[in-house]
Amino acid sequence: MDQPAEASRPAGPESLQVQVRSLAGREIVFDSEGFLSDFRQWTEEVAGILAQESGLEALTDTHWQVIRFLRDYYLQNGRAPLHRELKKGTGMSLLEIESLFPGGIKQGARRLAGLPNPKTCGQS
Amino acid sequence: MAEIVYLDNAATSFPKPREVLERMIDLYAAKGVSPGRGGYDLALEAEEMVSAARRRLCRFFGGDDPARVIFASNATDALNLVIQGLVKPGGHVVSSELEHNSVLRPLHHLRGKGLIDYDLVPFDARGFIDPGDVARAIRPNSQFVILTHASNVLGTIQPVEAVGAICRQRGIPLIIDTAQSAGVVPINLSAWGASAVAFTGHKSLFGPTGIGGLVLSRGFDVQTTRFGGTGIESQDPVHTQTYPHRLEAGTINFMGILGLMAGMDYLDSQGMEAIAQKERTLARRLWQGLAQIPRVKLYGTDRLDQRLAVILANVEGMTPADVAAILDGDFGIATRSGLQCAPLVHQRLGTGKAGGVRFSLGPFNTSEDIDLVLEAMGKICTGK
Repeated sequence: MDQPAEASRPAGPESLQVQVRSLAGREIVFDSEGFLSDFRQWTEEVAGILAQESGLEALTDTHWQVIRFLRDYYLQNGRAPLHRELKKGTGMSLLEIESLFPGGIKQGARRLAGLPNPKTCGQS
Repeated sequence: MAEIVYLDNAATSFPKPREVLERMIDLYAAKGVSPGRGGYDLALEAEEMVSAARRRLCRFFGGDDPARVIFASNATDALNLVIQGLVKPGGHVVSSELEHNSVLRPLHHLRGKGLIDYDLVPFDARGFIDPGDVARAIRPNSQFVILTHASNVLGTIQPVEAVGAICRQRGIPLIIDTAQSAGVVPINLSAWGASAVAFTGHKSLFGPTGIGGLVLSRGFDVQTTRFGGTGIESQDPVHTQTYPHRLEAGTINFMGILGLMAGMDYLDSQGMEAIAQKERTLARRLWQGLAQIPRVKLYGTDRLDQRLAVILANVEGMTPADVAAILDGDFGIATRSGLQCAPLVHQRLGTGKAGGVRFSLGPFNTSEDIDLVLEAMGKICTGK
């Protein structure tokens, strides 16, 4: 499974380069940092595979609590939650969330939830 | 509004002093017509206020001709004006790896179009360029040297006077980006032998966003790259070559200028050195505290008298974006993570694509703020 393949998009700035991977029986497009290019391509099975690749044996209820909050919030608001909203919505500190996911908040929780890669270079 | 500890003053100073905002709005409410366009008294009064602002900025930056104070939107806009108004095909530019994208991107763009080439001098482990490197980088076809006065990532204050002496000796213009230093470090265009400084109003000059500019020395000419209405010589299809209109097209940001003047009033009332001293004292407390925390890495010189109150840090094993997110979400501390729009600084520091967490202090920070940051960073580093 899961052999990365370069997409047909012409080479350009790194932020525009994508990879198409076959995951959970679907062709899924990722950006150069491993974020899903299309939020709608996410499935729970995809999240599970990405979690395993990041070093987690399995996603626990606590992981799912964070992932589901991120996805629900994004679906309802069209953007990722603010830091304080993430804290309130999950009932966890950001420090807890950071330590829960290998890769932390951005490369871990946000990526596994299938949210877009934030455009600002310092955003989590 | 929720209380936060604001440590992103290198991006923009916040909060703005209330008296600055009130003065700006009051003046704009009373005089906010188009300066220099109409012949009625109010327009003439507005124009005189703009002229007074030019005179004041000229004195502040050590210029020699108030007519050569050019208003722009910010430092990036001003730097674009001067860079694009100077380059000629086949030319060469000397700059440094410390630069913000406000300099790097215009240069990259012009090189991409085949118009110029450029060399960037490196900086040392402490965060300083060597004036000798600038001298060695100058070629026969070098058109100008353009340098930041103080790094927006490390805060290190660069030896622009020494570079100015080299440029004067070699007969090449020096342009200085004072986005970070104006309002913190005294600047003297004439004494330093520089040809131009670019500034912004919304950082340590306490003005609003959207106002900045250029101060040019007499005899240093920049070509017009924007064309349009100036309020003078309207019958002529050619854009006037009289300063400041030569480089200004369209109605200027009068409200921004009023806010900038009110900001400079505030700066004068507090004293630039007094503010700088307070910020340095707090920066020292922060630096010394961070240096005691396991897993924290600091960058650049520990000589805090040679830098602005700007400190770059990383936590081993964590991304700077996540450190900043935790500081914000769990502790209410606003910092700037990432590359701070200066990618080559991070390339040389070895902080790569992720960058670092920048703590930039302002006059409204307190020692309690610093203690809170140190407590938060301690918890982040121990995971508790």
